Amino acid sequence: MFKSSPCRLHVSADDHGSPGPAPGGPAATLLDALALDRLRQLDPDGSRGFLSQVLSTYRQSLERHLALLSTLSGEGALKPVGDAAHTLKSSSASVGALDFSRLCAQVESLARAGDPQALAAPLSALRAEGERVLDAVRDMLSR
Amino acid sequence: MRFGICSPGESQVQRMTPSPTDAGPGQDQPRVLLVDDDEVNLLLTSVALRERGFSITEAPSGERALALTADWTPDIVVLDAQMPGLDGFDTCRRLRDLPGFEHVPVLMLTGLDDDASIARAYQAGATDFFVKANQWGLLTERLNFLLRSSRTRIELDRSKTRLARAQDLARMGSFDWMRHERGLRLQPEALRVFGLPPTERVSLRRLLRMVHDDERAAFIRLLREQLRTSSVLACDITIEQYDMLRRVIHAEAEPEFNDHGQCVGYTGIVQDVTDRRAAEDRIRHLANFDTLTGLPNRHQLIWRAETALEQARRLKHEFAILLIDLDRFKVINDTLGHGSGDELLRQVAQRLRGCVRHTDQVLEGALEAAGARSHRSLEAVGRLGGDEFVALLPEVAGELDAERVAQRVLEVMREPIVVGGQECFVTASVGVAIYPRDGDSVVDLLRNADVAMYSVKGAGRNGSAVYTPALAGTGRGKLERETALHKAIERQELVLHYQPQIDVHAGRVVGTEALMRWMCEGKLQPPAEFIPLAEETGLIVPLSEWAIREATRQGRLWCQRVGLDVPISVNLPSLMFTRSDLIDQIHEAAGHHGVPHSMLRVEITEDNLMKDLQSVIPALHRLNEIGVEISIDDFGTGYSSMSRLTTLPIAELKIDRAFIKDLGITPQSPAIVQAIVALGKALGLRVVAEGVEMLRQMDVLQRLGCSIMQGYMFCRPVPPEELERWIGSAVLPNNRPKRAVAVAPSR
Repeated sequence: MFKSSPCRLHVSADDHGSPGPAPGGPAATLLDALALDRLRQLDPDGSRGFLSQVLSTYRQSLERHLALLSTLSGEGALKPVGDAAHTLKSSSASVGALDFSRLCAQVESLARAGDPQALAAPLSALRAEGERVLDAVRDMLSR
Repeated sequence: MRFGICSPGESQVQRMTPSPTDAGPGQDQPRVLLVDDDEVNLLLTSVALRERGFSITEAPSGERALALTADWTPDIVVLDAQMPGLDGFDTCRRLRDLPGFEHVPVLMLTGLDDDASIARAYQAGATDFFVKANQWGLLTERLNFLLRSSRTRIELDRSKTRLARAQDLARMGSFDWMRHERGLRLQPEALRVFGLPPTERVSLRRLLRMVHDDERAAFIRLLREQLRTSSVLACDITIEQYDMLRRVIHAEAEPEFNDHGQCVGYTGIVQDVTDRRAAEDRIRHLANFDTLTGLPNRHQLIWRAETALEQARRLKHEFAILLIDLDRFKVINDTLGHGSGDELLRQVAQRLRGCVRHTDQVLEGALEAAGARSHRSLEAVGRLGGDEFVALLPEVAGELDAERVAQRVLEVMREPIVVGGQECFVTASVGVAIYPRDGDSVVDLLRNADVAMYSVKGAGRNGSAVYTPALAGTGRGKLERETALHKAIERQELVLHYQPQIDVHAGRVVGTEALMRWMCEGKLQPPAEFIPLAEETGLIVPLSEWAIREATRQGRLWCQRVGLDVPISVNLPSLMFTRSDLIDQIHEAAGHHGVPHSMLRVEITEDNLMKDLQSVIPALHRLNEIGVEISIDDFGTGYSSMSRLTTLPIAELKIDRAFIKDLGITPQSPAIVQAIVALGKALGLRVVAEGVEMLRQMDVLQRLGCSIMQGYMFCRPVPPEELERWIGSAVLPNNRPKRAVAVAPSR
């Protein structure tokens, strides 16, 4: 599931000699470096492979929820959409996918408001942004 | 799970997370139950808190959290508010319903702008909320704060529980009363003291209604007075509850003051002291009343008499003490047994109560409150001890009043008393002393009533007498005589005279009986003059001990001087046989004078033996074991049980002189003597006839088979030297051709 060496992921984003969101790569724009640094502080020497474990967990969650969201539509989907957005909102913020987290918050709010029409466009944007974040995470994990 | 997808909580997270039963955290690590459906947050928060010293148990859903807490209680719960399925709010509510979870801190994780969730969290029973963010330091501080609060609360709860338990055990509870605010407020323990449910609201007015009618007005007065003076309240009140049980409540409260020094209320405690009061009452009763008759005892009587005397002195009136002593109570006690004796005393007490205006309880405080005639309540009959009662008449108009009561006492005793199914006729001797004429102290009055009572006894009992100084002379005479008898031993005024016992068949002396005499003021007193006094005063014990020593000394002397080594009989009262040191006394006397124990023979009258048979028997056996023979004196007049006689370790029967005296005069006497001789022979006992004064009696006795005799016909009781002379010169009769027989040692 996770092939890269844990030691590669624990290194600070400022350290150019080490993997991380590469400048110009998808992670560099989609995942906040400060947020990722905070996660690295929980496993400073990287011995426990904590960051890769978190990203891996996030990837699974994101895959599962995006797959779910692609199947949902109409009024009956409001509650599951809201719940999925709520879950993705906080976990995305934790791994530094801040824009995506904001989109999740917007979708959650609209879903709770109960208007399927108003939800269509933001939900579509969320799915698209979600796929991009998923790519970035996969990219990080593959290094 | 909600989407039919494998839950992270059941897979990855579960693998990483130890269960509560896994090798556990350190003892001081706070145990956190972390509940979040978002596996990323669950993982992050869990790792972050573990880093900071918490022991984390993860649950990916509310349902899982409830399952974990079925048999385990964490120190704190961190709960995500928004979860699919059972959300944080419902989970919190369910947790609060679990036993032991009422006060476990629950921290609800909410969104940043989610005010509605915050309010809902509190409504659901959450202790606090925390906005979800990766600010682990803040979260740690919040958790530590909640844990500290929780520990403080737990300590407080424990402390309250301990206090409540202690108060419960002490049947105590606290209360406060605030004058202008909430009025009276009783803690549940205090309500319990009043027998009320713990949730009851009770007003002061209602409590006052519970106070017993007799005390309510005084208690209200006391409360008003304490409040007026802002002083400490400490009092006992009797309350009567719905169940009509009376309880004694001790209330103690101190005033509370505001900043201006004004008393604003009271705080204090109430305590159920019913049992303690009952015990105190019981102790007081035992200290003041006779347990057998229920009458005031000596202590209470003396107190009443002192109080009555004080009142009489102050109000200048007379008061009387009647000393009532039952006649021959000892005989009843000895004959019917102590149980019947006690029953008789109870019945007598009941009758005597009716002779005066008897008041059982006299309260010291109440006496003063009752006014000028209060001393009347001191009137009572009490028991001084044994068969001695006292009637106290706190105010009499002269001795006639007292005599009337004395006559009433004698009158009520005339009716027979049935005890142990037997009718008994009991009389009393009553002595009267009047204040101030017959003494100005209770001690003097009691002594003089005693003198008057003894004068009645001396005059034949069953009567009353008022004290006069002339009676005191008689009493003093007795006292002086008692003192003189005390000193008789050390002054060597006691002597033993001896009367020989002769076997007329063998023509020789076979023993002597030692008889005590008292050389008092130059006159030799016979035993009848001083032995009753000695028995009454207990002096009989040292007198008997002296007789044992003196008889053994004399036995040794006779052996040395005239070769006479026949046994010497010493009369002992039954009291001596019950003393544990009798054998030691005999050992010591025999050892000291170097004579065998068999030199001594002890005589006990048949009456005394049968009266105290059970207590005397052990001593008889011990005496027998050391070689001292037992002789039954005055045999034939008592009521010996023939069956017991066969088992007693006795050696000799002495026929009572009354039967000897009539020998040859009444036809019955020989028959009785013959029967005793036959009994003696059958039991292998020696039979001795005493009081033989005439030849005719000796002949009959010989004919009836009794050959050992003692009496004036041979020799009266004489001093030892004279007996020596008599032995040297006596001519003794026998069946052989009459000749002078030199009495020779013959054993």
